[in-house]
Amino acid sequence: MKQIQDAYIVAAVRTPVGKAIKGALRNFRPDDLLALAIRNLLLRVPSLDPNFIDDVVIGCSLPEAQQGYNIARIALLLAQLPNTAGGITVNRFCSSGLNAIAMAADRIRVGEADVMIAGGVESMSMVPIMGNTPSMSPSILLRDENIGIAYGMGLTAERVAQQWNISRESQDAFALASHQKALLAQSSGEFSDEIFPVEIDNHIFNSKTNLAEISLEFFVSDEGPRQETSLEALAKLRAIFAANGSVTAGNSSQMSDGAAALLVVSEKALKQFNLTPMARFVSFAVKGVAPEIMGIGPKEAIPAALRLAGLKQHDLGWIELNEAFAAQAIAVIQDLALDPSKVNPLGSAIALGHPLGATGAIRSATAIHAMQRHQLRYGMVTMCIGTGMGAAGIFERC
Amino acid sequence: MGLNMPIGKVAILGSGVMGAQIAAHCINCGIPVILFDLPTKDGESKLKDKSAIANKAIENLKKQSPPPLAISTSTDLIQAANYEDDLALLMECDLVIEAIAEHIDWKHDLYKKVTPYLSATAIFATNTSGLSITKLAEGFIGDLKKRFCGIHFFNPPRYMHLVEIIPTKDTDIQIIDHLETFVTSVLGKGVIRATDTPNFIANRIGVFSILSIFSQAKKYQIGIDVVDILTGSKLGRAKSGTYRTCDIVGLDTMASVVAATAAALNDDPFFELFAVPAIVTELIKNGYLGQKTKKGFYQKKGDAVLIFDQDSKEYVPAIGQLSPAIATILQKPMAERMGLLRANVDPQSQFLWSIFRDIFHYVAVHLETVAESAREIDFAMRWGYGWKLGPFEDWQAAGWLKIANWVEEDISQGKALSNVPLPAWVFFSPAAESQKIHTPEGSWSARDFQYIPRSILPVYEKQVFRAPLSGEGLPDPQSAGITIFINDAVRIWVASNRPTVLILSFLTKMNTINPDVLNGIKKSIEIAEELYDGLVIWQPASLKLDAAIGAFSAGANLEVALLCMQNGGPKEVEAFVNLFQHTMMRIKYSRVPVVCAISGIALGGGCELIMQSAKRVAQIESYIGLVETRVGLIPSGGGLKEIAIRVHDEVGTLGTSQYLAVIKPYFDNVVMAKISTSAQDALKMGYLKNDDVIVPNPYEILTQAQVQVLTMRYAGYKAPMPRLISVAGRSVATTIMGQMVNMRDGDFISEHDYWISKKIIDVITGGEVDCGTLISEDWLLKLERLAFIELMGHPKTMERILSFLKTGKPIKN
Repeated sequence: MKQIQDAYIVAAVRTPVGKAIKGALRNFRPDDLLALAIRNLLLRVPSLDPNFIDDVVIGCSLPEAQQGYNIARIALLLAQLPNTAGGITVNRFCSSGLNAIAMAADRIRVGEADVMIAGGVESMSMVPIMGNTPSMSPSILLRDENIGIAYGMGLTAERVAQQWNISRESQDAFALASHQKALLAQSSGEFSDEIFPVEIDNHIFNSKTNLAEISLEFFVSDEGPRQETSLEALAKLRAIFAANGSVTAGNSSQMSDGAAALLVVSEKALKQFNLTPMARFVSFAVKGVAPEIMGIGPKEAIPAALRLAGLKQHDLGWIELNEAFAAQAIAVIQDLALDPSKVNPLGSAIALGHPLGATGAIRSATAIHAMQRHQLRYGMVTMCIGTGMGAAGIFERC
Repeated sequence: MGLNMPIGKVAILGSGVMGAQIAAHCINCGIPVILFDLPTKDGESKLKDKSAIANKAIENLKKQSPPPLAISTSTDLIQAANYEDDLALLMECDLVIEAIAEHIDWKHDLYKKVTPYLSATAIFATNTSGLSITKLAEGFIGDLKKRFCGIHFFNPPRYMHLVEIIPTKDTDIQIIDHLETFVTSVLGKGVIRATDTPNFIANRIGVFSILSIFSQAKKYQIGIDVVDILTGSKLGRAKSGTYRTCDIVGLDTMASVVAATAAALNDDPFFELFAVPAIVTELIKNGYLGQKTKKGFYQKKGDAVLIFDQDSKEYVPAIGQLSPAIATILQKPMAERMGLLRANVDPQSQFLWSIFRDIFHYVAVHLETVAESAREIDFAMRWGYGWKLGPFEDWQAAGWLKIANWVEEDISQGKALSNVPLPAWVFFSPAAESQKIHTPEGSWSARDFQYIPRSILPVYEKQVFRAPLSGEGLPDPQSAGITIFINDAVRIWVASNRPTVLILSFLTKMNTINPDVLNGIKKSIEIAEELYDGLVIWQPASLKLDAAIGAFSAGANLEVALLCMQNGGPKEVEAFVNLFQHTMMRIKYSRVPVVCAISGIALGGGCELIMQSAKRVAQIESYIGLVETRVGLIPSGGGLKEIAIRVHDEVGTLGTSQYLAVIKPYFDNVVMAKISTSAQDALKMGYLKNDDVIVPNPYEILTQAQVQVLTMRYAGYKAPMPRLISVAGRSVATTIMGQMVNMRDGDFISEHDYWISKKIIDVITGGEVDCGTLISEDWLLKLERLAFIELMGHPKTMERILSFLKTGKPIKN
């Protein structure tokens, strides 16, 4: 079926991103967090009648345990959406959130829906990166060609660093720049349109009073950016994925908790509910690469998405290239000759954190708001994906 | 607290180095403890935590080396408190130990503050290292003086065996008995009762000894490095010798100890010696305080060791050597050694004679005032300073009157450090007549002019063998009791205290396990099944405290395995492994309980042995691990089989989805050849089990093991029933190997390491079967055996074994 209408993003919100395990959201359940994102999204579009929401598509990269049981449906019910709205959880690891938007847009573009919610959620505090009970098929180790499936993401970054000759120094410099850009963005309020504050109710035991108590706090901005980091501090960190490697905790993305939600509608819905579009969804592409160099994925996906959109690289005014690792981000930037001034102007996962399945939706919210503020026409969100893929999506400001 | 009621809770006042470490050791021994310090003043602590000082000290325990805690995370068992908010907590404590800085006024101020809160029956003790206990007790009201005494721990308290308990003339003797019982059995220490004289016993003699070495080294121009060679393990003393020990302690600390000693000892006839040596003053002036400033007497530069040269004020290479003649003399028995040293004009020889003479001179002069008997002095130096033999033991062995005359001659010729003559008892007393200081009747007391027998406190009934002093003629653990069977490999015997419990001790070096030991084990089980309540495997080496604690077993004898391979190939290797496995199964399925009494290392085959016995009694300092991968092998005496069974038992209640989480720590421990840092750590690693017994005092493990055998037997002991085991299977194995792929391809481990880890996981997960498959113990043993034989045939494993046998260190390949 061909595209019969365009899909527009009308609103985009996200939580501040918390550091996994030790951060503010460590005890905040992802289903509750996602419900909160959906509630806050709807607050931005008071003229929308929620009874017209067709479906809620949510990206989540480890949809199990606290974020299992089809978290999309659970969260929309917790958010008090009408029972009539559907919910589906989708997973393509780090592009899950972007895929959710693309799938929501496609429902509209083929004319089978008019009002969709898309988003992403991940609590890396609660669900570990390999899941609670990882299990590998014995077939994986039977063929050398499949060994890359067993590679941890860090080791694949080492492989990219080796193959693309990305030095430790350039990775650390890239990481430092990410923090500096993020800190500047925070202080100049670049994220204030997209972030909504989260009220956290920590249920604690007070050993002094011998009582269970609730302590409340407001969480308002991303926890990741580090004021105190420096090239010297980064240089001191040990490579953790290879004995003589160059990839460190400092030049890799941070493990994080977070959620985002976007409202995607048809032109008909824009008129029906008197909504103002922020951006038009233009195109999406995914491409596979060898699993052991998964970080290079965007190099294939970016040209594919541009081709589908009928655009050239220089048409893009804003590029969110997820920094899974400095090594792979640098390799992609170099190979495609991306304009560094357009890539991650507000920092990315190294500084801002990377709640896996939520990242695609979070960075889409960032890009769409930034294009509005900076009056840019085309923006892109792209990332590499575990087991060897790259994804890219393009938006046009309205 | 009635006097029969065990001490249930301890408070430590002062969270300095000693206070915090004593608290840590209480936790090691299962005693709840509250650690007090000053409250933080307003604004001092960000967290508004008034006990921040104590809390910080508790946190620091995790970072210290050697670790004060048996398990570093047990810091949360120590309760932090401050003198402002928490004094009421003292009421719950049966023993309160003050361990603040050595200022009598500060201590008195604190006592005023805390004593109103002490329970009416609490024992109050001070961990001072030298202040007068009597003076500290001044001003106490009511009967507190009766319950007050000194309790002097040595640093680091977890590892140093000595505790001096110092009563005053007012202290109730029952209180002291009660405290000695607690410190001995519950804290596992060696107690001596000291007199309330300056520095008590160990530091009184120890500081003198160090200063005498400084003085004689200067006189005979012996270099720093040579002094340490001469006064270290060659004399049966701490390996670090004298100067390096000072570097470790810190030269500023040493100087302040010497200064404090000098201040307290102005009527000591050796008073002149008690001054900070010039070289120490000079080093301190330069800021070279020893290890903590990286420069002291020594400086390490890369691999090179440099020493401070007093002439050039520079650090120069350490090139000093032991003179060959001295090396020969030091191998002679004591009786000959002293004469040879005294007669030889070599400065090294004169230096050594002089330091012996000085210490003999000093202990003889002071025996009457500082100690009840010579026993306290000898144990003080052995347990507090790591000497293999105490000064009186050395003197007695060298020939009492001969040495006495030589010392007297040196004194009269002005060669000694003081012209005070030897006391009369040295020449005229029953001790002089018999030329014996330690005898079966007791040890010589200059004070009482008679031999004083050993303490008969009931706590010592738990010690089948008490720490012996040479000359006492105590039963030798190598031959004591009734020997039932003995050959080159094992002794099978019974101790007279519990004659229905058979005991097996190995006679091999480091108690390694060879085929003769295995046959000895089988034989002992046969005898035990027929005639005894059960079997204890116990090694006399567990009583060794002077160096590294003795080995339970260093594991299977690698040379034997190698010889099998070289002479008979895989077939003969298989025969050895078969014998090993069969013996371990014999232990496991013995009709009577086999209990292992462990202290020190239990590695490889030694670890497999304890894992398959009915129960384990382990001293806190038990260093247990499956370390076969270091030499390119895998555990194949049933160790991996036992892990599979432990996994089965743990997963049983959790569900099969938990196999990976349960297996991973076991697997990591084996692959990385990790050794436990304590018995508690071994429990966490799964080498000990929850109902095993952890014992603080190494002298008690044999009794505890005998009692376990009897208890199990009386409770109707039956061998475990053979059963099928459900295993994790091939998907879990693959998932773990997926992680090992990352280790290999990240260059953390070699291809051979990867291959060994594959063999290990295959056994633990039951071979190439599906999850939850039921398999037999025999199948797991077969997997172990086949993998072992295959690895023995691998050239890289062979390289590792040969390198280990040659150099004691395996190579990485």
